[in-house]
Amino acid sequence: MSKATQTRNLQAAALLAAALFLGASVLGAAQSQNDASKTDSGYLTPVEAKFSVDGTRLYVVCEDADALLVVDTGTKKVVGRVPVGHRPKDVAQSPDGQKLYVSNEWSDSVTEIDAKTLKVARTIPAGWGPVGLTTDRTGQTLYVANSIGSDVSVIELATGTEKKRLASWRSPHNVLLSRDGRYVFVSNMLGHLGPWDQTPVSELTIIDANRQIIAQRLQVPGVIELRHIAEGPAAEGEDLIIPFMRPKNLNPLIQVSNGWILTHGVLVLHPSSAAKGGYEVSQVLLDDIDEYYAGANGVAFTPDGKRILVTAAEANIVSVIDTAKLKQRIKAVPPDQLPNRLDSAATFVQRRLETGAEPMAVAVSKQGDRAYVVNRLDDSLTVINLATTRVEGRIDLGGPKEETTLRRGEKLFHSAKFCFQGQFACVTCHPDNHIDGVSWNLETPELGKDRVANRTLRGIAETAPYKWNGHNPDLETQCGPRIAKFLFHSEGFNKEELGDLVAFIKSIPLAPNRHLAADGQLTLSQERGKKIFFQKNCDNCHPPATHYTALRSFDVGTANKYDTSGLLDVPQLDRIYEKPPYLHNGEALTLEEIWTVFNNEDKHGVTSDMSKEQLNDLIEFLKTL
Amino acid sequence: MKYRQITLAMMTGLALLLCAASRGQESPVYTRWENFTTANGMPDDKVFQAAVDGDRVWVGTENGLVLIEKGKIQRVYRPEDGLANRVVTGVAVDQSSGDVWLATFGGLSRLSGGEFKNYKNFTSGLANDIVYAVAVQGEYVWAATTAGISRLNTHTGEWSIFSEKNAPMHEPWSYGIAVTEKKMYFAVWGGGLLEYDIAGGWWKPYNDPDGEMEIVLFQNQGLIHDIVSNVAYNPDTQMVWASTYFGLSGYDGHNWHNYLSTDSALASDFINAVQSRGNDVWACTDKGLSYLNFKTGEWITYRPAENGNGGDIAITTADKKVQHRQTSTTLAHNYILNLTFQGDDIWVATAKGLSHGMRETSHQSTKEGNRNEHKSASR
Repeated sequence: MSKATQTRNLQAAALLAAALFLGASVLGAAQSQNDASKTDSGYLTPVEAKFSVDGTRLYVVCEDADALLVVDTGTKKVVGRVPVGHRPKDVAQSPDGQKLYVSNEWSDSVTEIDAKTLKVARTIPAGWGPVGLTTDRTGQTLYVANSIGSDVSVIELATGTEKKRLASWRSPHNVLLSRDGRYVFVSNMLGHLGPWDQTPVSELTIIDANRQIIAQRLQVPGVIELRHIAEGPAAEGEDLIIPFMRPKNLNPLIQVSNGWILTHGVLVLHPSSAAKGGYEVSQVLLDDIDEYYAGANGVAFTPDGKRILVTAAEANIVSVIDTAKLKQRIKAVPPDQLPNRLDSAATFVQRRLETGAEPMAVAVSKQGDRAYVVNRLDDSLTVINLATTRVEGRIDLGGPKEETTLRRGEKLFHSAKFCFQGQFACVTCHPDNHIDGVSWNLETPELGKDRVANRTLRGIAETAPYKWNGHNPDLETQCGPRIAKFLFHSEGFNKEELGDLVAFIKSIPLAPNRHLAADGQLTLSQERGKKIFFQKNCDNCHPPATHYTALRSFDVGTANKYDTSGLLDVPQLDRIYEKPPYLHNGEALTLEEIWTVFNNEDKHGVTSDMSKEQLNDLIEFLKTL
Repeated sequence: MKYRQITLAMMTGLALLLCAASRGQESPVYTRWENFTTANGMPDDKVFQAAVDGDRVWVGTENGLVLIEKGKIQRVYRPEDGLANRVVTGVAVDQSSGDVWLATFGGLSRLSGGEFKNYKNFTSGLANDIVYAVAVQGEYVWAATTAGISRLNTHTGEWSIFSEKNAPMHEPWSYGIAVTEKKMYFAVWGGGLLEYDIAGGWWKPYNDPDGEMEIVLFQNQGLIHDIVSNVAYNPDTQMVWASTYFGLSGYDGHNWHNYLSTDSALASDFINAVQSRGNDVWACTDKGLSYLNFKTGEWITYRPAENGNGGDIAITTADKKVQHRQTSTTLAHNYILNLTFQGDDIWVATAKGLSHGMRETSHQSTKEGNRNEHKSASR
C-alpha cells in the first residue's frame, strides 16, 4: 500500500469515525428531547464562541446541534464535538481552563465538560432558560442568567448546587465577569414592563461578585435587546460596550420610509465615580443615515482596546470601530442628542466587513491578530485579519451544504435587506422568535392610534387569523404584500421566499412549559384554577382544542379611545406566562391586571365575583397551558 | 455614710459593667442614645421598623423609607422614587440577594440595586395592599396583610394566600411574621399566634385559653391574649415570643411564660412588638422599652424622664428590688413600635423618632453608674 493510499485510508477511517461520532451525538441528543422543537436537519447553528484560556482553541456553541464544537484556530479545523443539553447558548470556562460550562436553555441545565478529554463530567441544574454564564475569579461559583425565569442562578461548583437566585429584569441574555473580578454584568433583552404608551427602559444588572448580591440596576432609557457585553482594557478606561436596538415605538411604524424608526448601536459605559450609578452612559448609533446595520449583537475589544468589533446579525456585517474616535464622538455631541444621531458612525467606524449569515458573536484571539465571527445561519466562522482589517477566510463548521426550505425561511426571517435601508428584519421585533415586549403603532398613519403589543411567533402555525384585528387570514397575507407595503416599504419577499418564510414561521416551536410538572400533574392551586377556567366558560373563547383561541375576534371591552375597533383577535394562551404585557395594546402589565383593572364591565368573562384566591388559582392554571 | 455611698456606687458600677460585658449572661444597659427625627433629616417622626444589613440601617417611617449608614441619614425614598406607598410599616433584608422588601400601606415593594419593583393587589396576587409586615424565607417572601398572609415564590412567581378560608385563623388581619429554619410564625390580630410548618405545609394555632377575655385566669396556661401584635423567634433559646395588647407571652415548645405589668416590671401590657436573642427579651410598649433577662428574671425599662431631661432606666431585679438610673440621652419617645439589633447596638422605632441605643463602655459605666446612683439616691 502506497503512502498516499495509506493516508487516504486513514482519512477515510477518520471521517467514518467522525461521522459515527457525530451521528451518535445527534442521536443521543435527540433522545434526550421530549418536545417538538428538535430540528433534524443536521444544521449546527452556532451562536457563541469563546477562546480557551491558553488561546489555542475556540469553543463554539451550536444550538441546533445541541453540541459544543472545538475549533483549532491554527488548523482551522473542528477537532472535537461534545453533546450537551437542548438549545445550548453560551460557554464559560474555569479560570484554569480545565472545565467548560455550557448553558442549555431548553433543558434548564448546565453541562460541565472536562476540557482536556472533552467528556461530559456532570449536568448541573439551573433556573428556567439558562443562557449567558460565567465563573467567578476563583472558579468556585458559576453565574447563570435564566432567560425565562428572569433571574441569575448562583451555583456553587464544588457541590453543583444552586446557592441562590438573584432577580435580573426581563429575559437576561449575556453575562460578563469584570476583569477585576468584582462584578458580574448581566444584560437584559427586554425592557421594563412599564406604561404601554412610553418608550422602553432597559437594564444592565450588576452583581457584586464578592457578596453575591445585586449591587446595582443600571437603567437605560429608550433601548431594548441589550446583547453581548465587552469590557475594554484598563489602558482604555475599562469601558463597557453593549449592543442594543433603539425602537421609536411611539411613532407609526408606517413612517419607516422616513428613516430612524428602528436604530441600532452600542451603549458605552464609562466608569466614573462622579456619575450617577458609577457610569457615564452614552448611546451611540452604528447605523449610517441611509443604511442601517440591524441586529447589533456580538462585541469584542482587540487586546489593546484600540478597536471594537460589533456584529450586525441581520445585516451580515461586522463594524470595526476606532475606540479613540468613538470617544471623541461621545465628547463632541451633547448627550441628549447622541442617541439619535445617525451621522455618528461615519466618524468612528473604520470598516464594515461582510460575514456569513447572521453573525451572532465575535471573539478576538489573545494575540489580537485575528477575530472570529460566529455565523449562526451559515454554520461557519468568518476569519478577520486584524492587521489588514480584511476578511481572511471562512471556517466551515461542518453543517449540511444544501439549504432546506426551513433554513432558507429562517435566513429570510433574519435578514434586514428586505426592509427600506435595512432598518429591520422580522427577528428585530421578534428576538428568539418571540416578543420584544414593546407596544407598536403599526400600519395606521395616525400617531398614537391602534397601538398594539407585539405577539409571539412561537407555536402560531394553527392560530390563524393573525394580527390583533384578525384581518390577516393566513401568514402568507401577514408576511407578504402587507408587510412589504406597511412595514418594510420595499418590494418584500417574492413568492418562493414567502413560501420559505411562512414555512419557517410555522415551524417555530413553543418553549417547554416551566409551570407544568414533568408528569403533567397539576398542583392543587392549578387544579382549582382549571375548574374555575371551565366554570367561568373561559373555554368559549379560549377552547383547548385550538391552542386556547377561538380563532376569531370578540369585543371583550378592552378597547380604549385610541382603538378603531373593539373587535379583537383572541390570543392563544400557550405559554402565556412568557409574554407580558397583555391585552392587545399591552396595557395589562401582569395577568392579574387583565381582570383587576381592565375588566370592569365583566365583558372579558364574569370575574368581578371572584375572590383574590380564585384569581390567583386561575392564573396558576393559565401558566400551565 | 459617705464611704458606704462610694462603696455602693463602685459596686453598682462594677455590676453594670459586668452586665454590659456579656450579652446572654448579664443584662445589657444602654446609656447612650442617638436619635433621628425630623429635626435631623428624618422624613417623619413616626417610625415603624428598622432592619439592619451590615453597616446599613433601613428604616420604615410614616413618610418614606430611610437609609442610615455611618451614623448619618444617607437617603430618603418616597413614592416619587418608586416606593409603593409613603407609609412603610415593615422592612426585611434578604441577606442572600441584598434586596430590601418593604411592607407598605400601598402594597409590597422590593428595593433592589437602587430600583423599586412593586406588588399590589391589582397588579399581583397580593391579598391586600395594607401590608403590616414582610419576611424572607428562602425563595419565598411572606407578607402579613389585612386580608390574610400572602406568600410569593420568587422563583416561579406563584402567589398563595392564607386566610380564615384555608388556615386556622379567626381573623385574617395579620400583623407580624417570624421566620425559623423549619417553621413560620404569624401574629394575627384577634386570631392569636399561628405556626406554619414549612416542609409539611400544615398549620398549628395558639390561642388564649380564656378566649378573648382581657383577664388571665391562669398565668402560664397558654397564649396570654388573642390580639397578637407581633411575634419573634429566638434562635438561641428556640423560644417564640408573642407581643399582645394585653401582655407578653413566650413559648418554649412545652411551657408558656407570660408576663403582665401587674406581676412583673413590664412597662405596660400594651405591647407593639417583641424581639429576642440570647437571654434578652425586648418588649416594645406604649410606656417605654422593657427588657427582660429571661435567665435571671431581671427587668430593665427605658423611657424618657418625666421631667423631659434625659432618660430614666429602671432596673428591677428578680427579687423585685428597683434601681433607677438617669442618663443624659434617652429614647426619642416612650411609645415604642419595634426594635432591631446591630451587633451590640439596638435601633428602636418610636412614635417620635428612631433611637440608636449604645451600650456603655467600662469607663462610662462607672461614671454613669456613680452619677446615676447619686441621682437615684437623691430622689
